[in-house]
Amino acid sequence: MEKYYRTEEVETIALNKLSMEVKEGEFVAIMGPSGCGKSTLLNILGMLDDPDAGSYLFNGTEVANVGERKRADLRKHNIGFVFQSFNLIDELTVYENVELPLIYTGVASSDRVKRVEEVLEKMQIMHRRNHYPQQLSGGQQQRVAIARAVVNKPKLILADEPTGNLDSSNGNEVMELLTDLNEQGTTIIMVTHSEHDARYSHRIIRLLDGQTVMENIMI
Amino acid sequence: MFRNYIKTAFRSLKKNKGFTFINVFGLALGLAVCLLIVFYVVDELGYDRYNTKADRIYRLNNDIKFGGHEDSYAVIPAPTAAALVSEFPEVENAARFRQTGSFRVKKGSQNIQEDKVTFADPAIFNIFTLPFVDGSATDALKAPHTAVINETLAKKYFGRTDVVGKTLVLNDTENYKITGVIKDIPRQSHFRFDLFLSMETLAESKQTTWLSNNFQTYMLLKPGANIKTVESKFSDLINRHSSAELQQFLHMSMSDLEKQGNYFRFSVTPLTDIHLKSNRVAEMGENGNIQYVYIFSAIAIFILFIACVNFMNLSTARSANRAREVGVRKVLGSARKDLVFQFLTESILITLVATLIAAVAAWLSLPLFNQMAGKEMSITLKALTWLLPTLIFIVVFVGCLAGSYPAFFLSGFQPIAVLKGKLSGGFKNGNLRSALVIFQFFISIFLIIGTLAIYNQLKYIQNKDLGFNREQVLVIKHAWILGNQTETFKQEIKQLPGVTNASLTGYTPTGGNRNSSTIYTSPVFDLKNALNGQVWTVDADYLPTMGMHLAAGRNFSKEMATDSTSLILNESAIKLLNGKSNLNQFLYKPLDDQMKKIGKYKIIGIVKDFNFNSLRENVTPLILTYGKDQGALNVRVSTKDVKGVLAQIERKWKELSPNQSFSFSFMDQDFDAIYRSEQRVGSICVAFTTFAIIIACLGLFGLAAYAAEQRNKEIGIRKVLGAGVTSIVTMLSKDFIKLVFIAILLAAPLAWWFMQRFFLESYAYRQNIQWWVVVVAASGAVLIAFVTISFQSIKAALINPVKSLRSE
Ligand SMILES: Nc1ncnc2c1ncn2[C@@H]1O[C@H](COP(=O)(O)OP(=O)(O)OP(=O)(O)O)[C@@H](O)[C@H]1O
Ligand SMILES: [Mg+2]
Repeated sequence: MEKYYRTEEVETIALNKLSMEVKEGEFVAIMGPSGCGKSTLLNILGMLDDPDAGSYLFNGTEVANVGERKRADLRKHNIGFVFQSFNLIDELTVYENVELPLIYTGVASSDRVKRVEEVLEKMQIMHRRNHYPQQLSGGQQQRVAIARAVVNKPKLILADEPTGNLDSSNGNEVMELLTDLNEQGTTIIMVTHSEHDARYSHRIIRLLDGQTVMENIMI
Repeated sequence: MFRNYIKTAFRSLKKNKGFTFINVFGLALGLAVCLLIVFYVVDELGYDRYNTKADRIYRLNNDIKFGGHEDSYAVIPAPTAAALVSEFPEVENAARFRQTGSFRVKKGSQNIQEDKVTFADPAIFNIFTLPFVDGSATDALKAPHTAVINETLAKKYFGRTDVVGKTLVLNDTENYKITGVIKDIPRQSHFRFDLFLSMETLAESKQTTWLSNNFQTYMLLKPGANIKTVESKFSDLINRHSSAELQQFLHMSMSDLEKQGNYFRFSVTPLTDIHLKSNRVAEMGENGNIQYVYIFSAIAIFILFIACVNFMNLSTARSANRAREVGVRKVLGSARKDLVFQFLTESILITLVATLIAAVAAWLSLPLFNQMAGKEMSITLKALTWLLPTLIFIVVFVGCLAGSYPAFFLSGFQPIAVLKGKLSGGFKNGNLRSALVIFQFFISIFLIIGTLAIYNQLKYIQNKDLGFNREQVLVIKHAWILGNQTETFKQEIKQLPGVTNASLTGYTPTGGNRNSSTIYTSPVFDLKNALNGQVWTVDADYLPTMGMHLAAGRNFSKEMATDSTSLILNESAIKLLNGKSNLNQFLYKPLDDQMKKIGKYKIIGIVKDFNFNSLRENVTPLILTYGKDQGALNVRVSTKDVKGVLAQIERKWKELSPNQSFSFSFMDQDFDAIYRSEQRVGSICVAFTTFAIIIACLGLFGLAAYAAEQRNKEIGIRKVLGAGVTSIVTMLSKDFIKLVFIAILLAAPLAWWFMQRFFLESYAYRQNIQWWVVVVAASGAVLIAFVTISFQSIKAALINPVKSLRSE
């Protein structure tokens, strides 16, 4: 895949003929220096962005340049996102934040209650269900974000520095959660700067200037 | 320091071009409308103020209830003026006017018709400020058959203005010696005559009866005299002078008359109130209406307010972006006062630019507005003396009004909170902003409903069955000019192809002659037997030509010799008679002033009620008598080629009378003319309403933009989680549409009530506001608001979420 950013003066090559494959059920960590294109890659994998050239096969179907509606549809049923800055909606409670993806995929409201409570239980955040994001600690917020990412039972979770804003104990907790999810069959692709966190994964892909420079198999 | 304010203000405005544009444009639009309305209001309020003695001049009125009929007259009996001067020490002078219609004035061999003619007492020159350019007040209009003309007329007939001593020939026969030439009467005058004829000429002016009202009478009080004292003596004045007459003709005293619920009451209207507050029978010109002044002023204030609200809303919405600036400035030592000043400078700067644009826009659109309002306003040097201060006042006042809230709101931020980023959005505590948006749409919806109600009523008037057919009727005016040839003229016109019928009478239902008179159900003339109403002289062709219908009985007929003593009454008259007389029964009328000779008339027909008054009034009693009135020839045309028929009629006219000007009108246009002021108000309201909505929408547009910007991140997250464009647009629009709905709920009932109460109830015949008007107004407002917001929402919804999340 290739991806360029053009601004008035310069053209940045964010992804330079990058090639990779991730199998179902894998837990992959992507590492590399700042600005090497990790987030760009993740955005494309998450179908939030299109590559400028190349191809992206998701589950066997070509999804590069397929059109916004189709991508949005694939995305909401198959992919969950976890961000470094949590990206919870401040105006909604914990419960409502987690419920949101279910609303967008059209799950009936009686089912929603069950499923939201189920994941909140699993993420041990049930007691805070009626709190607003601002009233939670960073670790708690990230647990809510993960709950939200998995509530739809996605095949793939994309996590961009999920522990970046957390202290080490909260970070470890999050990594345990991701490992659990992976063990239950969810594919995980995680961007991280932390060698420690990367060790939770099966495989590390190292990027430099938009290219794969090394792959470590960890198992 | 001040330079620093201006500099930062200027840069801040430049940086936020969209915001600045919306504010300047919205404010300019609002101010332009306001300025036009200010012109209008100042113009309306300035009537008759050219008179240096204006505060001492009063017109006398007569309110009469007699014979079951009530009316308010701007005319009073002939002898009143002299009585006022001789009997009331407070009265310095008094003068009368009397109009008897138009005159033909000879110029060479041609006769030109002049409409603005009046008979007048010489004292008018001592009361009103009518400066002479030739001659003087000393001997103007004193002798019979003398005239005073204005400059325009002098130039028209003589080519110069020093024409005292020359003679005007009126109606071919009467010579009037010119005793003075006056300046043209200013436009802002409730009367504007070109030609004044001496009252001495008119025999009627020497009448002594106090029971007939034909003279507009004005009095000038002595300086310091109290009008209340004068008013308190009116009833005694009438009593003293009319009791003998009452005894003689009606065999009763004034108190008997009043016991039966009748009255004659004098009142006064101050000169400067006449134009806006007087709408009586026999006004000397078309007056304005104080209601319109109120309505337009209210609209102006509302529109200005909508524009100011935009400014406040956008500024506070923007506050999140400016909060950091405020925080930094405060940390650096800026006092709150300085910040207030800074923001006020910014808003005054915006207002200044907007005011300049508005002034130019108002100036450019003045001709168009004149056309809409039926005025001839212009910006004179004199107008600038009040205009410039007004503009400066507007800049400061509106600048402070619009800027005050943002100034105090923004400057109140706590620097620590701001810098720590605790104040996440100026958008959250937007209760006031919501209230203001509701208010904006409240006004817009109110205006939409009001305008629709006016239009609905005008359409109703257009389509109402009036009881006669005004389409395809030509009114050939002043048929009496043809003298004894009128009948020949009528017969020849009737023969023309394309002409169905023609009726000779000046009593047309859409205007022309009117004659209020009293008729009795018994030969003993007693008030109990009186029926007061319009008495019109018509011919046998009248009903068929006008397309009126008989409810019972028969029409007049040339073949029936007895028809000269026959009457046709309308249904209202029959109803008022209440069985005291009916079809085939009799009515009585005095045939001379002394009420000695009595005429006996038989009711041979009842004509279905037709509207000959404005639709503001109910149909009043009407009595048609058979006879010869030559006021006009009404011609019903059956062909599409009205022009061709008209040309033939004119040819006939010229054949019979080569030197007399031919004038005509179309009856449907005469009808429309009655409602011209309503039409004007209607179209002005449409324009203003449109502007109000545009300005309100501009504000909404800006707010929606800020709302979308504030929720950028949220939109991004939602999209990542699978939200579609529709759900984002709905989410963003919902909050605003909710406000519009609240505005509808508030405005609809209020507008309905207001229009019903203050507009429609002034019509006897009206179309009440129907539910669909409210539905149209409401859905229109929602639709417009939705489209406005959608621009922003859709734009926001289409942004790639990667972008909005990146900026975190
Ligand atoms: N919208 C954009 N416009 C222009 N250039 C961009 C844009 N987004 C990213 N880039 C550039 O593309 C390159 C890759 O950016 P990317 O965000 O993928 O880096 P990253 O590896 O995630 O870095 P970090 O570890 O700091 O998050 C960088 O050089 C960045 O400057
Ligand atoms: Mg990154």
